[in-house]
Amino acid sequence: MKELSLNILDVAENSVKAGASLIGIELDETEELLTLRITDNGCGMTPEILASVTDPFYTTRTTRKVGLGLPLLKLAAEQTGGSMTVASRHESTNPEDHGTEVTATFYKNHIDCTPMGDVISSIVTLIQGNPTRDFVFTHKRSEGNVVLDTRQLRDVLGEDVPLNSFEVLQWITEFLREQYAGDENR
Amino acid sequence: MKVNELASALRLQSITEPDGEREIDGCYIGDLLSWVMGRAQSGNVWVTIMSNINIVAVATLADVSCIVLAEGVTVEDSVKAVAEAKGVNLFTTPMTAYEIAAKIAALTV
Repeated sequence: MKELSLNILDVAENSVKAGASLIGIELDETEELLTLRITDNGCGMTPEILASVTDPFYTTRTTRKVGLGLPLLKLAAEQTGGSMTVASRHESTNPEDHGTEVTATFYKNHIDCTPMGDVISSIVTLIQGNPTRDFVFTHKRSEGNVVLDTRQLRDVLGEDVPLNSFEVLQWITEFLREQYAGDENR
Repeated sequence: MKVNELASALRLQSITEPDGEREIDGCYIGDLLSWVMGRAQSGNVWVTIMSNINIVAVATLADVSCIVLAEGVTVEDSVKAVAEAKGVNLFTTPMTAYEIAAKIAALTV
């Protein structure tokens, strides 16, 4: 994909489809590496499905016969010299602790490294489309970490204010922008 | 013009050719697969330097008439096998994408 933020959106939507109530999106940057980790507590995958997730002709979709979300993320990572791994525990074998973890590592300085793009828009879009689920977004950077936990927002706002109300989404956007801008103001 | 006629005219090296009688309709050049997915048109000759298994999936999705790998790019046997199984015509040539497109234009436009 043209930007990594679109991969984030795509993979996190898989977590939504897996019925996850809590989805973690973590970006961890060092001078050389960028690690993207998306975790969820969804239904998880059986070993058979897990073995097929990077096969573009395997998909859970019924509308088309091709699924390219994880294959494209794997390709994006590998074309920088990095890699992608997927670990999963299916609810049938792990009823108390199931879910999936997708980890992609990119060499940031490689000429073919995909630009990050608009991560804030991806996070806000996910919350807007899935207001009953919780997202924990963390971006670890040398300039300072960026963190958003919708569970904390929910605690403050209470049950009556949906996370996808215009004012809340606008606040989230500003909150993230301020954290990203914080290092520039120091 | 058909795929097998184009291959013969441009001396493309066949990797798989399960549907050589397919009519070609225009040409699309692109290496960013997600971009190609949404933009290549049915019947296009798709010219790329990408060679992993995902190109077969994109070709299937976009319904291109064939994939032409430019600049001498080749594929692993596993990709060849999937292309054959999915009915995707796949060729390689030493030409650049520009040279291929120019020659296709000269033959078909």
